[in-house]
Amino acid sequence: MPADSVPMPGESIETPTVVAPPEKHVGVGGAMTGAVPWIDKAGVVGGVFRGIRSLFSGMGVTVGYLMRPSTVVTQEYPENRETLKLPDRFRAQLAFNHDDKGYHKCTMCRICEEACPNVSIIITGREKPAVSKKELDSFVWRLDSCTFCNTCVIVCPFGVLRFDGTFESSVYDRRLLSYTLNRYAGPVASVLEKMEDPEARKAAMDPRDPYSGAAVIAALIEKQKATKVSQRAAREAARAARIAAKAAAAAAPATPPEAKDVG
Amino acid sequence: MSVHVSTLQARISGESTASSPLSTEEYFVNMGPQHPSTHGVLRLVLRLDGETVREVVPVLGYIHRGIEKMGEHGNYRQFVHLVDRMDYLSALANNWAVTMVVEKAAKMETTERIQAIRTLVCELQRIQSHLLWWGVFGMDLGGFTPFFYGLREREQICDIFEKTIGARLTMNYIQPGGVMFDIHPEFVKDVKAFISYLKPKLVEYDALVTDNVIIQERIRGIGKLSAERAIALGATGPVLRASGVAHDLRKSEPYGVYSQLDFDVPVGKDGDCWDRYWVRMEEMRQSVRMIEQLIDNIPEGKTFMVKPAAKIKVPAGVHYSHLETARGILGVLLVSDGKEAPYRIHCRTPNFNNLWCIGEMATGGRMGDLVAMLSSIDIVVPDIDR
Amino acid sequence: MSWQVKSIAERTGDLLPGSPWTAVLYVLLTILAVTAFVTVAGLVLIYAERKIAAHFQCRVGPMRVGWHGVLQSIADAIKLLMKEDIVPRDADALLHILAPVLSFAGMLLVMIALPMSPTVQVSDMNIGVLYVTAVSGLGVLGILLGGWSSNNKWSLLGAMRAGAQIISYEVSATLALLVVVLFAGTLQLSGIVQSQETGWWIWRAHGCGIVAFAIFLIAGTAEINRTPFDLAEGESELTAGFHTEYSGLRFSFFFLSEFLNMFVLAAMASTLFFGGWMPLHIGHFAGFNGIMDLLPPGLWFTLKTTAMIFLIMWFRWTFPRLRVDQLMRLEWKILLPIGFVNLFVSAACVVTGFYFFAQ
Repeated sequence: MPADSVPMPGESIETPTVVAPPEKHVGVGGAMTGAVPWIDKAGVVGGVFRGIRSLFSGMGVTVGYLMRPSTVVTQEYPENRETLKLPDRFRAQLAFNHDDKGYHKCTMCRICEEACPNVSIIITGREKPAVSKKELDSFVWRLDSCTFCNTCVIVCPFGVLRFDGTFESSVYDRRLLSYTLNRYAGPVASVLEKMEDPEARKAAMDPRDPYSGAAVIAALIEKQKATKVSQRAAREAARAARIAAKAAAAAAPATPPEAKDVG
Repeated sequence: MSVHVSTLQARISGESTASSPLSTEEYFVNMGPQHPSTHGVLRLVLRLDGETVREVVPVLGYIHRGIEKMGEHGNYRQFVHLVDRMDYLSALANNWAVTMVVEKAAKMETTERIQAIRTLVCELQRIQSHLLWWGVFGMDLGGFTPFFYGLREREQICDIFEKTIGARLTMNYIQPGGVMFDIHPEFVKDVKAFISYLKPKLVEYDALVTDNVIIQERIRGIGKLSAERAIALGATGPVLRASGVAHDLRKSEPYGVYSQLDFDVPVGKDGDCWDRYWVRMEEMRQSVRMIEQLIDNIPEGKTFMVKPAAKIKVPAGVHYSHLETARGILGVLLVSDGKEAPYRIHCRTPNFNNLWCIGEMATGGRMGDLVAMLSSIDIVVPDIDR
Repeated sequence: MSWQVKSIAERTGDLLPGSPWTAVLYVLLTILAVTAFVTVAGLVLIYAERKIAAHFQCRVGPMRVGWHGVLQSIADAIKLLMKEDIVPRDADALLHILAPVLSFAGMLLVMIALPMSPTVQVSDMNIGVLYVTAVSGLGVLGILLGGWSSNNKWSLLGAMRAGAQIISYEVSATLALLVVVLFAGTLQLSGIVQSQETGWWIWRAHGCGIVAFAIFLIAGTAEINRTPFDLAEGESELTAGFHTEYSGLRFSFFFLSEFLNMFVLAAMASTLFFGGWMPLHIGHFAGFNGIMDLLPPGLWFTLKTTAMIFLIMWFRWTFPRLRVDQLMRLEWKILLPIGFVNLFVSAACVVTGFYFFAQ
């Protein structure tokens, strides 16, 4: 059937099997149908008795659960912390995959940053890379704006990211919700592996505080502001120069033809 | 917003509706945006005459987040996770709706396995959604216990999702080109265990709620919605089917692997609250049937056809696709200018249309009926406002 | 075995000629004791309700404060005491403040007439049943005033529902009470208890007792505004009904009186139909009666009342709520005719002496 044609009541509908509500609903409590449901064909007395029986059957269900304390499903949360295990795919906190030496594989390709629907990932590169061309400085993940859509994890070509089940992420300060996920700023694992000298390796790796995300974001904002300020200054300087040039042109209406080459 | 209210006030000052010799005075009550029975921040302006409801006007916009507009600022993959937040009880179906239109427009290939997994998780989520509805329906009618029983069973489905998908509510699982992960190794075992657990519980639900004389008294014959009016108002899903229109996209335009499955479409007769209740209860049983057929027959194959980071470009033009969520037809209209980001996305959400049936149903009913009717429509407010 | 029935009021009276000051002290102590009982019983009932509800619903209920949360009610009481006490700006402040007090007073006044054991009864009036019926009507006044004075449409709706409901169901409850009064031949509560020395009215009066008990239980549940008749509160419909605008201590008065009304209902039901503090006796079957007498009467009363309270809680956590018109239909079209017929049949039984162990 085409999408835009909705069947009208009289029309035949191409629906092969249809279940209509039964004339008499068969259940535990008995049947109650008709305009005055529990007073139908069985008459008033029969209807009343069936009605009462239905009430008792409901009471039987509830008391059944009361009598069996094993049916309790409540999980008492802080008490069951030791036994509480979340499934391995559970999306609670984004984490970086560091190998057993503590190296990561993030090449700063920024695919995750682009894929993130709500700018929860902010990646900054190092100003002066120690070894390779591009080195990760901070991989900041903002839990406060993350929607746990898992896109960053699946798009990462190197398998750097994962979601883990550490769900107790409440803090008292909103700024603490911006995490720096990488443990160090520096080159990727493959570059570090090639380095022979452990001292140089150590020098190339600059440790990062997991809670420094807010500072990184603040620095970025400052930088943006500074860029804006310098851009504005440049614009204003240009404008002033334009005005000055115009004024100069107005002051000297008879411009000598050779001055054109200077302008 | 104020337009609605002033219209109502103009209407009441214009006419005297008190028909009885005892002079009564009509009054307005704001039901919501904070009310236990509107299930979210929905506001209903009620015109009441004592306990009798004279008019209901829904006022929307309290949870408008501009999801459609936000979709224009990202690529198609990024839009998928936003629709999780529309009808949060059918997040997977919402994912699938967007995925479907993108796949159809961009002519992306999928495997049988992908379709089977999508169908399976969507049916599981349909059960989950109906279980929550069942519990809330009981609670709205004044019985607290069904709520806990419904949520208890729903929890098991959430646990299954947690294992395979890693999330309980906002899944972002069905992606253009596949599904985000393959199913968990324990998925089949868990689903089978759940199905065998759920079946006796459904019988118990009948004993506790369905057959209960008070429930029967309260929901039979109230909130009638004729088939003509249901179609005119654009109602879909169980609301439409309860009114006697056998319109189910899973049958009429099968997507996924529904065409291979054997299931019935429950259809009501009178379109009253009882029919809507019954249709949903029966849909749960049908979903169980579908899952039973599917769970042992998931074909082998790939679960992701393209690279997850690959850019999707949809050819310029208007594309539309729709599917059946737990609440009705979710259609996604996509206007593309051939770039990576959609030019415009519009979602035809089932709850928006279903909500307007409340005005039709509730007029002349009682205050308590209104709650039952609202609950029987099974609205999810974020889906109305988007 | 003859029971030494003596109420506290009588004992005060005995003291009075000798030393009026001792009597005054005695009265003050009694007031203190009743208040203490009401508070403690309220806390216990709230805890029991929460635990029982939890287990009906596969939960565990309060677990944190004290062993299995036994001190939870006290913690809640402290929390309620410390909450801000709000009187809405456009509310009728005097009535708003008065309403919970009235509601509480109605409950407290009923409390003094309940025979809890042969010696634990504050005042044994010769019109006990009438007194209980009359005074428990104060509760509805509190609810009506509370809903009216809050100046909130939801509260008003709840109050009007409560007013219509409680007054209607009072009729049926009274009709059911009258059946027992007919059989016992007295309005005095201790007299009614003692009239059941040869057996409880629930079975001695043939079907009449059972029918009267069923009517009394339904009507009583409606009178105390509990599910399936909690329309006045109607959480899903009216947010909180008549006490929407109440907070803190005043809310706790409503809350406490609601719970203790449940106790009153259970105590009245067990007094009238299950013999109150009277042990299970079968006629003049001395051996059996002797064994039953081993348990003290106070314990019998507690057990019966507890069973009744459990039954009422069981209703609440199983059934959904009725609609307003259905509620009225149930009362006026079903319970009331049955009640009248039952009353006439039992009157015939009493006249003809057609009941077990008639004198």
